[in-house]
Amino acid sequence: MREQKHNPGEVPAGFEHTQTSEASYRKVEQKKTQQMEFGPRGGPGRNMGQTIEKPKAVQKTISRLLKYFENEKKLLWLLVISVVAATLASLAAPAMQGDAIDRITKLEWSGFGQLLIVLLIVYFVYTGCTLAQMLISAHLSQRIVQKMRHDLFRKIDNLPIKYLDTHSNGDVMSRMTNDVENISNTVSQSMSSLISGILTILGTIAIMSWYCWQLTLITMATVVITVVVTKKLSSVMRRIYKKRAQVLGRLNGHSEEMITGYKSIVAYSRQKDVVSEFNATSDELTKVGIKAEILGGSMGPIMNCISNIGFVIVAAFGGYFALTGLITVGTISAFIIYARQFSRPINMIAQLYGSVQTAMAGAERVFELIDQPDEDNSGDRNLEKVTGEISFKDVDFSYIPDKQVLYKFDLDIKPGQKIALVGATGSGKTTVVNLLMRFYDVDSGEIQIDGVNIKDIKRDELRHNVAIVLQDTVLFSDTIERNIKYANLDASDEQMRYAAEMSNSVYFIERLPEQYQTFLKHAGANLSHGQRQLLAIARVVLADPKILVLDEATSSVDTRTEKHIQDAMVNLMKNRTSLIIAHRLSTIQDADKIVVMDQGRVVESGNHEELLAQKSRYYSLYMTQFAGNQI
Amino acid sequence: MLKYIKKYWHWCLLAPIFMLGEITMDLWQPDLMATIVDDGVIGQNMSIILTIGVKMILLVLFGGFCGIMSGVFANFAAQYFGNDLRKDLFGRIMDLSFEQTDKISTGSLITRITNDVTQVQNVVMLSIRSVVRSTAMFLGGIYMLYRQSPRFAVVVACGLPFVVAIVVFFMKKAAPMFAVVQEKLDGVNNVMQEDIAGARVVKAYVKEDYELSRFDNANDALYGINLKVQSLLAFMSPGMNIVLNLCVVGIIYIGGMTVQNSGSVTTGEIIAAITYVGLILNSVMFMANLFQTITRAKASAARINEVLNCERVITGGGYAESSDRRGEVEFKHVKFAYPNSGGREVLEDINLTVRRGETLAVLGATGSGKTSLINLIPRFYDVTEGEVLVDGVDVREYDLTALRDKIAVVLQKAELYSRPIEANIRWGKADATPWEIKSAAEIAQADDFICATPNGYYTQVTEGGHSLSGGQKQRISIARAVLKDPEILIFDDSSSALDLKTEAKLYAALKKECPDTTKIIIAQRIASVKDANRIAIIDGGRITACGTHEELLKTSPIYRDIYNSQLKKGGEIDA
Repeated sequence: MREQKHNPGEVPAGFEHTQTSEASYRKVEQKKTQQMEFGPRGGPGRNMGQTIEKPKAVQKTISRLLKYFENEKKLLWLLVISVVAATLASLAAPAMQGDAIDRITKLEWSGFGQLLIVLLIVYFVYTGCTLAQMLISAHLSQRIVQKMRHDLFRKIDNLPIKYLDTHSNGDVMSRMTNDVENISNTVSQSMSSLISGILTILGTIAIMSWYCWQLTLITMATVVITVVVTKKLSSVMRRIYKKRAQVLGRLNGHSEEMITGYKSIVAYSRQKDVVSEFNATSDELTKVGIKAEILGGSMGPIMNCISNIGFVIVAAFGGYFALTGLITVGTISAFIIYARQFSRPINMIAQLYGSVQTAMAGAERVFELIDQPDEDNSGDRNLEKVTGEISFKDVDFSYIPDKQVLYKFDLDIKPGQKIALVGATGSGKTTVVNLLMRFYDVDSGEIQIDGVNIKDIKRDELRHNVAIVLQDTVLFSDTIERNIKYANLDASDEQMRYAAEMSNSVYFIERLPEQYQTFLKHAGANLSHGQRQLLAIARVVLADPKILVLDEATSSVDTRTEKHIQDAMVNLMKNRTSLIIAHRLSTIQDADKIVVMDQGRVVESGNHEELLAQKSRYYSLYMTQFAGNQI
Repeated sequence: MLKYIKKYWHWCLLAPIFMLGEITMDLWQPDLMATIVDDGVIGQNMSIILTIGVKMILLVLFGGFCGIMSGVFANFAAQYFGNDLRKDLFGRIMDLSFEQTDKISTGSLITRITNDVTQVQNVVMLSIRSVVRSTAMFLGGIYMLYRQSPRFAVVVACGLPFVVAIVVFFMKKAAPMFAVVQEKLDGVNNVMQEDIAGARVVKAYVKEDYELSRFDNANDALYGINLKVQSLLAFMSPGMNIVLNLCVVGIIYIGGMTVQNSGSVTTGEIIAAITYVGLILNSVMFMANLFQTITRAKASAARINEVLNCERVITGGGYAESSDRRGEVEFKHVKFAYPNSGGREVLEDINLTVRRGETLAVLGATGSGKTSLINLIPRFYDVTEGEVLVDGVDVREYDLTALRDKIAVVLQKAELYSRPIEANIRWGKADATPWEIKSAAEIAQADDFICATPNGYYTQVTEGGHSLSGGQKQRISIARAVLKDPEILIFDDSSSALDLKTEAKLYAALKKECPDTTKIIIAQRIASVKDANRIAIIDGGRITACGTHEELLKTSPIYRDIYNSQLKKGGEIDA
């Protein structure tokens, strides 16, 4: 590159924007200990920062979650019954134990054996009920999650393209994976614990009061301490956990991006920088992680302390009361067990609090997606015999308000015509396709097929009649056969083979060991770009549409192969209206009409010879392509 | 993996020591309780209750302190261990050669660093805290129980085999199912991922219902296996519980009998024994859980080790000549096959010299070996036979950084990072001035569109560059390469998304601004390569022809064929 001289302090055009962001960016570049904090990032940790946020409109979310339980009423009742039974058993057992010990103390042996047998039965009831409870919650949670996933996917399936284009795929995915998983875990683990916890607390208080209300009141003091400490600790914990989730999200985002973009790192020998950037985040994560874990780890010993202090209090006062003859030794034994039983559900509920909140936040995100409006499907007209006449009338369109992409776009296509759209990147060619397929809807003006506004045509009907091949090939992790037959799974093998021949994909398919039954792993990642595109074309052949749209369909195929495809396409395009977008002008010279677009407007149209004769835009495009020297 | 934890052995040691303090307190305490009951309550002695009560509270507080400290030390050990492991792993990944990343997919590498490291770290943490804790609890519990009365120990000895049997049985049955759960979960994610990425195709073919049924199949499978695992594991804890409770009943019975017959056991001792039984069996359950977690983490550790043990295949030599700027490339009888392809040769006997400042275009069908050819120059891969020379020195003799500093490759698929456009271009030269960045962007024909964005060069590029069009991404990565100001500039079909006019301007600017740089350009379009000094035609891994546009038109039937295929009826104009 040639050196240029500049005045100090002078800023080149394009660099004068947002000095603040420049400043913050520089800081990051210089101080490698800090990490980049620009924009949204992907990675598994992306949403972790939000997981412990306080859910909004909690009640509404709960009531919607409850709706999922509506069809599970029978199971729900069974669950409640088994939880109640298990709780009662777990409350009765210490009382009986205390009774037995009392008898030992008093040396009363009559009925001692029977008492132990009853105690055994109680234990068996308890065990049976916990088992039932666990099995039922497993069924409940799995069924509900299955249903939720189904609902969520159906929504994703019907979302407008606009939503998918404007939202990160990773975010949509993480609602299905992380958020649903959080709900599932909470439902399966927490629900019965919550019910039994509350029941245990109430039941324990009742029984303890029945034994000795004074001692009960004393025991309650430890509960108050537990609640206060939990509340204090958990609010600090929430802050640190959130911080950790954020740093973790950043670390994951960074490693994901760098590993994916690994080739450019190697090519530019930037490994050292990237690694030191990673190490800085990793150190930061470790620091926050240690804080978080120490705090989280202290919870156990602290609770243990409190419950043991409770133990001593019960013993001391119990001893005192026993001395004064208020209670028996057996009662003390029962109280010790009850006091333990008491602190357990309280600790548990304190811990569940976090996971319930996480689940609620997840549910909110799931419902938020489910509440997205479906793609518009209000059209109700069927197309009888499609001739393939298309007309764009005064179409205005913008993806983002104020950034108009198409201006008064007009285009009439007669049945069976082959129309080509050419123009620079960003001139609006692909937008035309998006509108024709109703991936997006026009802002004003209208698009007609056979004289009917496409908004009035049944959406499926419209799309059945229009087939597209895109620049980015989409294949599915399935057999080649099912990929080719995607449009029509009932197609015969002859039809499939015909499609493969028409698209020239037959040569590489039949050289594969399993031919059409070859399973495409990772959506065809093991095929070359060209091969993938050939399969996509074969798929269109089988779709047999009235209108064919090729959006840069052969750009990744080398030109000689492209020529073979094109020869086949000539047959394919017979009796069909086709709309072709191409960079390579050679592809479209025989089009009936070539439309040259620039910045959302049609600037020229006509056939190849006419446009060349005009010696204007098309001519100069053509000359750069073939002569190369004129610009 | 052990050597990582070794470094923090002092913390690993301190944690259990403090833990022992905590456990001792935990174990001591039921004993004190028994004294309170027997001597205080039954013996009607309030002062014993109070003095022992105070002693107990102090012990409990000390125990709590020990517990927290052991947590702190365990944390230091586990977190620093995880941090070291993570850093080494990332460093190693960045150091891998292409053939190794080809084998282990990038997706899998990402999970290893994000997921597997956390798994292993958690297990280390859990192990430091729990192995000692549960073992000590178990042994201490048995000892204390035995001290109360040897008869009680017999009860536990009867119960233990059942607990162990239950644990072993369920672990054995559940372990293989976890892998299936993971597989089915991947299935659900795959359908969804494909569907979101291919939404246009799904909609265009009106396949929403079909996709939903495909998803439901995966979803149902996941539901089935999850339910199976959970149902199986549902039996485990009630099973252990019943054994525990049977032991409790057994202790009361034996205790009662002993009191009745000989009176050698006290009531307080029976109460204490019940507590110890609980401690012992709980510690067994804990060990079972730990065992399960370790089993799962073993897979993670293996996956990490696989990467850590990867010795880099391509290592640099000592040659690091720097001052002399030339940029000549020579291929001598080069043969090449991809390392994991079973020896199928992609390049056969390539001989080619590219001189300083020359523009060499490489043309050929998809899969003919163009990319493989240029990958050999910066040693992304090594030749199988023959040699590649840069400035007369075999690339294998160069220091890797010295070699790659001479070369800039613009990849087929533009790789951008989520940071400002400015930083993405700066990737090519860390200390570039804004002026240098701008002029690189001008040469790459990127300046116009960058300046048109709201924040100019500070516009944030989103993850994977989704906010930019294909052509814009390509131009930014070209600017990055130009900024590096290399001796050899390689374009791997990297202007394919540009329209012809922009592409032509780009090549004109390159010619004008970087006259001394050797340029190797892979392309599909004749128009892109027509002006090159020479054009090499690759077919089936061999160079079948090499010369100027005019020469090739005369001598190479393949070139003529390509030319005609792109030109078609346009031939008359050029002629």
